[in-house]
Amino acid sequence: MNPSIPPSSAEYGGGTVLIRRDEVSAIVLDPGFSTTRAGFAGEDTPKSLIPTYYGQYSISSQQKHIFGDDIFVTPRPAFSVHNPISRDGVVEDWEMAEKVWEYSFTSRLTGTRSGNFVLNGLDDLHEDEPSREMEGVELEEKPLADSPLLMSECGWNPTKAREKTIEIAMESWGTPAFYLAKNGVLAAFAAGKASALVVDVGASNVSVTPVHDGMILKRGVQHSPLGGDYISSQIRALFKTNSPQPITITPHYLIASKAPVDAGQPPQVTYKAFPPDKTPDASYRTLLEERTLTEFKECVVQVWPGPNRLSATGPNGVANEELAKSSPGRPFEFPDGYNQVFGVDRYRVVESLFDTKAAILDPDSPFPAPVQAQAIPELIKSALNGVDVDIRPHLLANVVVTGASSLLYGFNDRLNQELIQNFPSPRVRISAPGNTAERRFGSWIGGSILASLGTFHQMWISKKEYEEHGVSIVEKRCK
Amino acid sequence: MAVADVRDMLDLPADGHPRPHKKQKVVEKRPEGITRELYALLGERAPPIAITENRYKGRPKWMSKVKVRSWQMTPFTNSARTDNLVLRHWQRQQDTVNNVPPPDGAEMDVDGKPEDEAVLTAEQEAYHFAKYNVRAQMPKRYTDEQYDRHLRSDEWTREETDYLMDLVEEFDLRWVVIADRYECQPQPSDTETGGAALVPAKQHRTMEQMKARYYAITASMLALEHPPSEMSETEFELHEKMVKFDPERERTRKELAALQLNRTADEVREEGILLEELKRIVANEQTFIAERKELYARLEVPISVGNTTMYQSSQGLSQLLQTLMQADKSKKRRSLLGTEGSGASPASQTPTQNILSGLRDSRADTPIGPTPTTATKRTAASNTHQTLKPLTPAEEVRYGVQHHDRLPSGVQFRNDRAQKLTQAKSNIQTQKLAAALAELEVPLRLVMPTERICKEFEKLIHSVNLFLDARKVAEKVESEIRVLEAAREERERKERESVQGMTKDIADVKLESEDRHIHVDGRSIGHAAESEALSDEIDDPGDSEDAPGEADADGENDVLSSTKDTPVREKEAFTTAHKRSASVHSIISNRSTKRQRK
Ligand SMILES: Nc1ncnc2c1ncn2[C@@H]1O[C@H](COP(=O)(O)OP(=O)(O)OP(=O)(O)O)[C@@H](O)[C@H]1O
Ligand SMILES: [Mg+2]
Repeated sequence: MNPSIPPSSAEYGGGTVLIRRDEVSAIVLDPGFSTTRAGFAGEDTPKSLIPTYYGQYSISSQQKHIFGDDIFVTPRPAFSVHNPISRDGVVEDWEMAEKVWEYSFTSRLTGTRSGNFVLNGLDDLHEDEPSREMEGVELEEKPLADSPLLMSECGWNPTKAREKTIEIAMESWGTPAFYLAKNGVLAAFAAGKASALVVDVGASNVSVTPVHDGMILKRGVQHSPLGGDYISSQIRALFKTNSPQPITITPHYLIASKAPVDAGQPPQVTYKAFPPDKTPDASYRTLLEERTLTEFKECVVQVWPGPNRLSATGPNGVANEELAKSSPGRPFEFPDGYNQVFGVDRYRVVESLFDTKAAILDPDSPFPAPVQAQAIPELIKSALNGVDVDIRPHLLANVVVTGASSLLYGFNDRLNQELIQNFPSPRVRISAPGNTAERRFGSWIGGSILASLGTFHQMWISKKEYEEHGVSIVEKRCK
Repeated sequence: MAVADVRDMLDLPADGHPRPHKKQKVVEKRPEGITRELYALLGERAPPIAITENRYKGRPKWMSKVKVRSWQMTPFTNSARTDNLVLRHWQRQQDTVNNVPPPDGAEMDVDGKPEDEAVLTAEQEAYHFAKYNVRAQMPKRYTDEQYDRHLRSDEWTREETDYLMDLVEEFDLRWVVIADRYECQPQPSDTETGGAALVPAKQHRTMEQMKARYYAITASMLALEHPPSEMSETEFELHEKMVKFDPERERTRKELAALQLNRTADEVREEGILLEELKRIVANEQTFIAERKELYARLEVPISVGNTTMYQSSQGLSQLLQTLMQADKSKKRRSLLGTEGSGASPASQTPTQNILSGLRDSRADTPIGPTPTTATKRTAASNTHQTLKPLTPAEEVRYGVQHHDRLPSGVQFRNDRAQKLTQAKSNIQTQKLAAALAELEVPLRLVMPTERICKEFEKLIHSVNLFLDARKVAEKVESEIRVLEAAREERERKERESVQGMTKDIADVKLESEDRHIHVDGRSIGHAAESEALSDEIDDPGDSEDAPGEADADGENDVLSSTKDTPVREKEAFTTAHKRSASVHSIISNRSTKRQRK
């Protein structure tokens, strides 16, 4: 596109965002509960994708931390895994969050020291200003000294957390310019919409965010804990009561050897023996089990596509459950060699996202039994009730689905059915990218688009502004 | 065997027809990067998959001629920002550096430091995207004095008003967002709360309240700046719009919108069905109206000329034009005024008007056109225009003065005109007309066609026409009634049978069947009675010349009563009324027959 031709007035707004780019080598950081995504603005997938979990162990009474994918690898003695973000999606442990995030871009994007070719211009600029020169020296030590940083946050992030975030970005990382965007807005941008109803099914939370003209409507933001981790807990509950036998997930690190067995037969496996003083912490095992569960979600779990709930009868009078039973099952093999075909159960584990009465109850689960107000259709309903009635039809016609857990097979069909049932009159249209990466990294991609927009560069909070106004500027600027 | 082979066998010289080439031996071009041997292995047919090479896209040829221009990471500032934030982006290196250096001493100096030059030019050149930094135009803020004098409100404190104005400015009049972010904690100001020391409860403002307040303020600010009389057109419009904002109406509208949004699937489906139904009803109504129109058009046949010989001269043609124009005009006038047809008799005036009003009623609530009184006034007015010396009506009669809208050229005999009236559209109709006239003992050819007689004759013909049509309708309705009656009989019979099946009383069945017999008899008798009544009606007009009018009115009432409401329902009511009367008849006659039997 020729940049010398001014864009027509229709280019921004009207549901589509036409991109006019001007790259300033900004870094986009999208921290989630399960994974943290980072990359350069203007690219179409994040270069750096690391788990938000970090590992911790002590060697000769010295605490050590492990970040990134390395946490999965070595079962060190008393190795424990933690997440700096709380189940609510808000950062709990700021010290560690900072380290994890820093790792996400220093490991793959910037390196531990800033690149030098870009600094040339800056050095020349500062030559005649000794006071600035000092700053320049300081800049060089900081990881983000020459990259503007765009970060995402959840829609319900409290002011305190936002202020802490800009403080870290400005003072610890030394970024020259910073912006904090809502991940709902970014996901809408990624779908090419300035106004949308964003349904984000992540790991810790399901959230529904009404976005109007690139701004969230706070009163409409809804979230509930029925995300990927909740689904995992449902699957665990299913495994406990599974027939022909209960299933325990044994991660690979505990298995010395195994032999193939027929479906439904007990596994033939020899376990690795860990002496008690060498065993890693239980959280390590849970993390690895979670990986198997994610695989299980990808391969087996299926959302009942509707119409009507799984427990109801379909339009032709046959119970949906019967229909589900009659469809062929899906096999899955666990790390210990146990394998089985999963029939109607594969629908049951996710039915409670839409119909909480169908939840599989498990007293040991960290998740209390959900209430109907937490189900996704209810969240959408209350989100719509929280916004002006005039924009509701528009939002319903622009439902954007994002987040990795929305990749569950049949999720969109069911969501569509539920929405049509609840809102029969206006047209409901769901837009969900078919591309897996686009769905998983929706909010990152939106950030990538936003940070490379020529018109966005006036929005950055610059270092100077930060020094002038302090942390409170983030509330004023990032609305 | 090809021709060439035959020729070959027969040793004939290969003639001018060369052996046709094996057509379309499309030689697939071997893609680069695949060796000939490997490509040969693929056989004749290319595989259905495209062979693509995994390598970088080459430069187009023409580009190799273009000189490579270097790009540079250049710092830039954005004039839309106030803080001179320096960001860097890739930019094509300015040509000026390599090109002819400008003959300026100072510039030459700079040439030594290209980096700085680039910075300079980048900064000089306004940042391309800065121009998109536009904000909604905000009205001037009020001063303290202005606020105190014009803008005070019982519901809004000064602080809250300020807060609202700030918010509106911050969000560029995006009301949805403003209403969403509105969070005003009113500070208990000491002066106001005073001793009571009440902390005012946090108010919840609706978007309508905010809008109302904002518009009120902006409108009065606008009015303060220029009084409404001096406003430009757009300003005035804006002012009007803002002044007229009605929060209550907005609120109810939104409530309705919410209701509309929260309908259940059943309601939506029902609405769809109803809409469909409505469409059908409207379509039915259209056809019904069309039919009715046709009927009345027949009742008021315009004077048609069957003979064409008279139009063969130019004079005749101009005459035709005039008559047509007149007919046109009178039609228009009729539709406008409802009455005043040039040749329409009073008896036929009423139906036209009724019909028109009926049509209008059923279509829309547009008020009915001017009443006849205004119409007469109009004619009076036109009369005064036409004659210089107004004559009194008595004088007019005496001198035989007549007023015509437009006189056809040439001479016409009244008798001819009267004659034309007796010719209906169809032959049958004409015959019927003739029969009716014969019955009335009115000669087809008028003996003494004076002005008055002609008029009367016209009226008569109209009435007879009307009557004939009414009779036709009556007959149609009659037959419908008969069908419905029969259906009812059938139904009742079935019901009765079922009842009897329950009691299982055979004797009863017999009795009942007898009864039914009687009943059926009675009904037919009833019909006979009715048809007699009808024929009475038919006979009626024969009694006097005025009578047809009455009969007409009767017939009209029947027909026209249905125009007042939705025709379909009316028609039903109409038929049921007839049914009822029929059944009354039948009951009466039932009794009478029973009595007779006894
Ligand atoms: N193909 C898949 N099908 C179903 N679920 C999946 C799939 N891939 C990943 N998941 C689940 O999605 C969750 C991770 O989603 P995502 O990366 O969107 O979350 P997040 O953004 O890190 O978390 P949050 O949005 O809660 O902060 C994990 O629970 C994972 O098990
Ligand atoms: Mg997420």
